[in-house]
Amino acid sequence: MNRAELIAELERILGPRGVVTNPDALLTYDADGCVMDTCEPHVVTLPTSAEQVAAIVRLAARAGMPIVPRGAGTGLAGGATPMQGGIVISTARMDKILQVDTANGRVLCQPGVINWELSQYLKPFGYQFAPDPSSQKACTIGGNIANNSGGPHCLKYGITASHVLAVQVVLPDGSIIWTGDGSAYAAGYDLTGVITGSEGTIGFVTAAWLRLTRLPEAVRVVLALFPDIAGASTTVSQVIATGLLPAALEIMDRLAIKAVNDMYKLGLPEAAGAALLIEVDGVEDGLDELLNDITAICWRNGAIDVRPARTLAEQNQVWAARKNAFGAMGRLAPTYYLVDTVVPRTKLPQTMDEVGRISREFRLPIANVFHAGDGNLHPIILFDRRDRSQNQRALEAATSVMKVSIDFGGVISGEHGIGVEKQDYMTLLFSTDDLAAMAGLHQSFDPHDLFNPGKVFPKGRGCGELAALRRSGVAWSALKSS
Amino acid sequence: MNNALLRADLESLVGEQYVREHPTGYYIYGQQPLLSVAPGSLEELAQAVARLAAEHVAIVPWGGGTQQTWGRPPSRPFAVVLTGRLNRILDYTPDDLTISVEAGMTLGALSAALAANGQMLPLDAPLPDRATIGGLLATAMDGPRRLGYGSARDLLIGIRVVEATGRISKAGGMVVKNVSGFDMMKLYLGSFGTLAIIASANFKLIPQPRSAASILCRAATPEPLWKLVNAIASSQLTPVAVEYLEGIDLADTPFALAVRSEGLAAAVERHVRDVTTFAAQVGVQAEPLRDEAHIRLWEAINDIPQTASVAADELVVRVTCLPAALSSVLAAARTAAQHATVSLQAVARATNGVAYLRVRGSVSQLHEWHTAVLQVAPQTVLLAAPTSLVSEVPAFGTQIANLEVMQRIKQEFDPENLLNPGRFVV
Repeated sequence: MNRAELIAELERILGPRGVVTNPDALLTYDADGCVMDTCEPHVVTLPTSAEQVAAIVRLAARAGMPIVPRGAGTGLAGGATPMQGGIVISTARMDKILQVDTANGRVLCQPGVINWELSQYLKPFGYQFAPDPSSQKACTIGGNIANNSGGPHCLKYGITASHVLAVQVVLPDGSIIWTGDGSAYAAGYDLTGVITGSEGTIGFVTAAWLRLTRLPEAVRVVLALFPDIAGASTTVSQVIATGLLPAALEIMDRLAIKAVNDMYKLGLPEAAGAALLIEVDGVEDGLDELLNDITAICWRNGAIDVRPARTLAEQNQVWAARKNAFGAMGRLAPTYYLVDTVVPRTKLPQTMDEVGRISREFRLPIANVFHAGDGNLHPIILFDRRDRSQNQRALEAATSVMKVSIDFGGVISGEHGIGVEKQDYMTLLFSTDDLAAMAGLHQSFDPHDLFNPGKVFPKGRGCGELAALRRSGVAWSALKSS
Repeated sequence: MNNALLRADLESLVGEQYVREHPTGYYIYGQQPLLSVAPGSLEELAQAVARLAAEHVAIVPWGGGTQQTWGRPPSRPFAVVLTGRLNRILDYTPDDLTISVEAGMTLGALSAALAANGQMLPLDAPLPDRATIGGLLATAMDGPRRLGYGSARDLLIGIRVVEATGRISKAGGMVVKNVSGFDMMKLYLGSFGTLAIIASANFKLIPQPRSAASILCRAATPEPLWKLVNAIASSQLTPVAVEYLEGIDLADTPFALAVRSEGLAAAVERHVRDVTTFAAQVGVQAEPLRDEAHIRLWEAINDIPQTASVAADELVVRVTCLPAALSSVLAAARTAAQHATVSLQAVARATNGVAYLRVRGSVSQLHEWHTAVLQVAPQTVLLAAPTSLVSEVPAFGTQIANLEVMQRIKQEFDPENLLNPGRFVV
């Protein structure tokens, strides 16, 4: 099938408005938020239904072309970058919230719905969709599901996987399945669970039943300033030890404070080495008493300023600074590389020391904004992309952060995914046998590597090869002779 | 198969005293295992599995043996691989709020270790002093506090397994947030040991609450209790468990609702106050329970779905449906029980759409009742039944979707069908 025939077929399935072939337009689909690697797709499609997605998938199989799923393109790991060209399937026109079913605690929506818009829509019903990535004003539900996204509030409410009840997916063979109806147990293996977080490599989500989370009756936020990260980290441990898991625990370091101060006029003392944001929620009763306890813990650990945010306006201002911290980095450098790793919570202060060392070693400033409650750090390496030496040093600094995180017992991604960005670092964390088990799961869905190929698994180790490896057992004779 | 040679090899692997031929005490629906082997380490487990796989012997992983009646009996002769000696804590730094434990550790032993540090893993499974972590994960058993803290699906953050070939692999990690690689935890959880044997598991922990209390609401009919459930669900209260009880002695009434609140003292008192008010509005008596009475109530409720000691004429099932359908499903189960003249006991996660039902009667009565329940609740799983009934009824209900996809997964992980053959959906 030549390109003209492929496009004609796609236009027959989708109509002319559903197919993008203009070279200038295709160029805008050559990457997502990870701009280290780029590649243009052959064609971009904009289906409106699962049936259309299935038809595209069947056509792609015939044409021998890969399928690359794409939501808003805010991903930071290259998950939506068409590394081998092929057909991009955008969810831009599958953006409907289909049914709010409060009686069963679920909402049905299409993958192109924007995370923030879903929660705004649910507000009058008294509910929210709890996962709230920092990019929530742009990122889509489909992308959240593909990456099992996090966000500040997943400390208390859990990651996306805990909020996806069932999905409708188009499989690589072109079939359309529902993994359940939103009830607590579906018979057999947990297909919802394995598809969530698989980065579009085993199924294309075309609809989802998501969990509704009741909006809390009351919320309190405290912003506490500390001379250094250590004081803020100790406070985090002590707050949790009092027997309550806050809704969010976020830390910004000195450089990040400076950036958001400039942008949001927060008037935070720039002598502060760390700003700790603590949010607690629940029923109104007892929250003020809890707020006093938390404030006292902050002071005890050497806070230089503690600011309780009681009104919604105050709380929104504090949160805006945190959620837009990445945007504020533009004030400090032309480009930044946001690294996403996780360490056990108690290792955060030491990890931060190491990040400081890495900053000095590679002579690049690094700002830090992180989810302190769950050990998820986000060093932001500031550099100028036009400078090749800085570019190289930024990459090397990021690699060092990943290695340090693993050394402290952590992992290489907490919420952004592996994609292409981190695929070659998977071997730092996983043995060949570990990867082979994942490849086995992948093979059972996508034996021809049609969906988002060349992602997640290390380059040069094809899924097929890994999966074949795992079929050979631990030979008894070999054990016996050893 | 040369039994003597196999036995000798296994003995050389794990020690003579940990291998038994035709052991008693591990019967599954009347079937006696060919042998039992009790490895003492991850490596021994892997090698024992590899050795059995080399002889094509079917393997039944066995933890506390409290849920071996779930699903169907093995479809061919089998060996049991006992995880009881794998009962250690592998890694626990309390301030990290995570723990890694071997699969054979009991939930009770784990809870005791956590309580010493003011923490908990609120899985609330029946018979915690016997039920093992591996078994609870393999069956995805839930508990009342799934409402407040999630189930094992939400709390499991890492896993190590031994596959059918004896290969060891892991996924996840010791951090609470992790998208490094596929979420294999979800694959093994609830897979009845048909894809791999769980060797160890890592969990996210919860700090113990400052305060806790229950409200026990009793009624002569179920209707007002379901009104109460709706009132609680549409309020902004945050109870950690709302359990509906029917035919259960402990409540001293035919129908009851138990509400559990945990958190700040003032917040708990607010729950006691509001639930009492809601109950009064629907004409239901509400009694607050605290301290020992509160703890004893939940120990008893948690144990109701147990399947370790089941009467010869007893059938236990789990019903899953959408939460709003639960009251009508239970009403249909009650009507069917009256028709078949069997006694019915029920405990239900009232806002989660999950119920555990126990009935007693003759095999034909039980069959009649089960058939009627399947009509209204196609997602009904058999947890325990008289042996003569097991082969007669669909153990995993009549609504099994995506069987082909599941068969491909099974084929990929266990092509020789060595792990728990015949016992699960695939």
